[in-house]
Amino acid sequence: MSTAPALDKRPAAASAPGRRRVTLPVLLLIIAGVLALTSLVRIVTGADGITNVSQMSTALKLAVPIGMAGLGGLWAERSGVINIGLEGMLILGTWFGAWAGYQWGPWIGVLAGIAGGALGGLLHAIVTVTFNVNHIVSGVAINILALGVTRYVSAFAFEGVPQGTSKQSPPVESLGQFSVPVLSDGLETINDKGWFLASDIAGLLGGLVTNMSPLTLLALALVPASWWILWRTSFGLRLRSCGENPTAAESLGVNVYKYKYLAVIISGGLAGLGGAFLSIVANPFYLEGQTGGRGYIGLAAMIFGNWMPGGLALGAGLFGYTDSLKLRGGTENVHALLLLIAILVLIGAIWLVLRKKYVGAVIAVAVSALVFAWYATTKEVPTQVVTATPYVVTLLVLSLSAQRLRMPRANGKPYRRG
Amino acid sequence: MHALCGENGAGKSTLMKILYGMQKPDEGTIAVDGQQVAFASPGDAIARGIGMVHQHFMLADNLTVLENVVLGSEKLHGIGAKARAKIVELSERYGLGVRPDALVENLGVADRQRVEILKVLYRGATTLILDEPTAVLVPQEVDALFDNLRELKAEGLSVIFISHKLGEVLSVADEITVIRRGTTVGTVVPADTTAKQLAELMVGSELPTPETAESTVTDRPVIEVRNLKLLGEGGRALLDDISFTIHEGEVLGLAGVEGNGQTELIDALIGLKGADSGTLRMATGEVGSAGEAAGEPEEITSWPTRRRREQGIGYIPEDRHRHGLLLESPLWENRILGHVTERPNSKGFWLDLKSAQADTRRIVEEYDVRTPGIDVTAASLSGGNQQKLIVGREMSHKPRFLIAAHPTRGVDVGAQAQIWDQIREARREGLAVLLISADLDELIGLSDTLRVIYRGRLVADADPADITPEELGSAMTGAASGHLEHPADESGAAEDRPSGETGDQPEKTEEAAAPEDEAR
Repeated sequence: MSTAPALDKRPAAASAPGRRRVTLPVLLLIIAGVLALTSLVRIVTGADGITNVSQMSTALKLAVPIGMAGLGGLWAERSGVINIGLEGMLILGTWFGAWAGYQWGPWIGVLAGIAGGALGGLLHAIVTVTFNVNHIVSGVAINILALGVTRYVSAFAFEGVPQGTSKQSPPVESLGQFSVPVLSDGLETINDKGWFLASDIAGLLGGLVTNMSPLTLLALALVPASWWILWRTSFGLRLRSCGENPTAAESLGVNVYKYKYLAVIISGGLAGLGGAFLSIVANPFYLEGQTGGRGYIGLAAMIFGNWMPGGLALGAGLFGYTDSLKLRGGTENVHALLLLIAILVLIGAIWLVLRKKYVGAVIAVAVSALVFAWYATTKEVPTQVVTATPYVVTLLVLSLSAQRLRMPRANGKPYRRG
Repeated sequence: MHALCGENGAGKSTLMKILYGMQKPDEGTIAVDGQQVAFASPGDAIARGIGMVHQHFMLADNLTVLENVVLGSEKLHGIGAKARAKIVELSERYGLGVRPDALVENLGVADRQRVEILKVLYRGATTLILDEPTAVLVPQEVDALFDNLRELKAEGLSVIFISHKLGEVLSVADEITVIRRGTTVGTVVPADTTAKQLAELMVGSELPTPETAESTVTDRPVIEVRNLKLLGEGGRALLDDISFTIHEGEVLGLAGVEGNGQTELIDALIGLKGADSGTLRMATGEVGSAGEAAGEPEEITSWPTRRRREQGIGYIPEDRHRHGLLLESPLWENRILGHVTERPNSKGFWLDLKSAQADTRRIVEEYDVRTPGIDVTAASLSGGNQQKLIVGREMSHKPRFLIAAHPTRGVDVGAQAQIWDQIREARREGLAVLLISADLDELIGLSDTLRVIYRGRLVADADPADITPEELGSAMTGAASGHLEHPADESGAAEDRPSGETGDQPEKTEEAAAPEDEAR
């Protein structure tokens, strides 16, 4: 799925009034529009970094754990269980991934990471489905538990091992990387030319074919796979029916408990995979606090994506991209993006005027002017702003898109058979 | 087609749950096609060809009709094109008119019911159980349903039909079993019974009717609504140009299929939603003082809910579990709810628990709430007793204006009669009532004036003295509008009934007056 073009999905979300569905052509048009705008901004500001191949490649790498956590959230919530314990399952994934990875090789590590996350999922399922504990309480408990347990067992597992400390595991062997031979170089050449639009698209696609880990490929494939399973198989239909109306499902002979258990365990496994990616691919070791709240951001990506895999991938891409700004020439690039934001907010203002919502329009114009003033009067933004960008974007995007979302009807509600 | 009759709580639903395998019998046997069977789960019952259409629809809103139908039986025809073809075929064969790809949340009640029936047929059921299928339908939809059922019968299927509406049972069933307090009290054939005999079998005594005695309508307006408009999301009008006046001692009945703006109207009256335009005025103070002494009713459009309630709006909510009660709280706490600032519940800042509890005991006694005590939770009371508690609570604060939304829904016959009595008595004392109900007999029986709401507009009015449920029903579906009269029915019952519209809508008053003149 695409990563960077979604820098701002706000106009997309905002241009879908009421229940009208955003169809695929419309969505593609919006993405193309934002991409063209981004390209324009790049040329005006001269900040070539914002659509650079390596920028995109980094963004993709950072988007994977977020996307996997979000996908995990999707599976759980489609079955009606809120999974705020994704962060904890992600942590379990990182630990188990690195622990098994440094001893028996990276692929075993990946499997162990999935198993670790699934274990967290199983715990969440037992507590929420069988004992009907509030889903949020259970999730938060799992987050705290996972943090504590991994910290505790690290002292035994990693301390005293060569290159290991109580906070960090010994290095894990790499899974290897690959670039698609001709395509990768070709796209990079086009990207370097600095042409309008063409270079940006080349940068975006280049990110998808350059220095990719096999695990990234697997993660990307899981997004359409999840959609297919949940929406095109009877297993998925049953699972979703548990999240919409479990009583009805039960009356038709669906074993609601079974499907909720399966969904939450799969959810944990996906989060665990995201964790293993962090401790095997993104970094070659486990490090305490490595997840940095990505489980929560994944949940945010899922909500932003309206509980759909495609939207979720867009959201993960957006967050991954803003995250990548931290690593590469952030101060300059974020500064350039201020201009993009100013333009997008202005477009939003025009749209509000067309819908005769004048108060909102005035506010939007004011915000746009302020952002533009910030852009015009400075050369770059402070590093603190760059660090905060992913979180600010998360907040902004969620608060603007949350108005039109439709979550599974029985999500988070306790269910008792009979 | 076999009908099962009985009061609420007589055990009809329990019996059906056992038949459908949702509960297990302690004793006794069930035989299907002469074979003795035991069902451990609905799955077993389905396998035996028994299908159930629940009273509360078992559908997932966010799934399509197709998905709802195939759910649980994906093995039969898959979940794709074959299943769709099968659904279309069934739908055509029985004239159900179901579109497989529509989202259930966009369907009306009658359509949902047809989806439920289709769901059962899809599983190859030969015996259909319908639990109170007509409770949520207007008369025309009921007729359509009966046509569907006759179609099914003609195809050789058996139908078990649960209801407490005697007229329907008599018209549609081939055989009727009446149960009372969990036992069978008789099996009859419709040809040699009357509704009255059936009712006596059912209740064990005479059946109450919602007839009001003489009119008590005065010319003192209590509540005046002018051009009320409420916009929904995206600027769609949920309520448009609603105007009516209710006088002291008048019951205004509002008929309409659910979801046509009733809920929004209540919200606007009680202050949960602010009106986008239009005014609300209400007479405040003691009953009877509204005339010359109190002058014009006060405008309350901008008042918050708390103030409206303190000044005399009583409210019997449509869904007592969501709005009227805290189910997990004791009765006396529920008695305080909604009247926290008023005596006897509070003295200034502090709650006065002692007198609130004493007053709860009074309500329990006066309104015949059957409960072991006032410390039990509201959830442990039956629907009828919960409702009596709510009625008692609202009446205890001497409301000027009562909003009664489905006051007898899910309430047994005994409690129903009591609630009707309460409303009638309060009306005699000068209460203005807005009655919203899906039970057309109740509406016609209790109201002094009738209005029909359709898509957020008041489209028709009628005189309850000379209207039949069928005529009202056709207006509810938008088929008729304006003033409804009963063709060539010269009953003199309308004589001393003021039209209730004095002055505010002259054109309608004239129309309303016309049949009365003819009658004389």
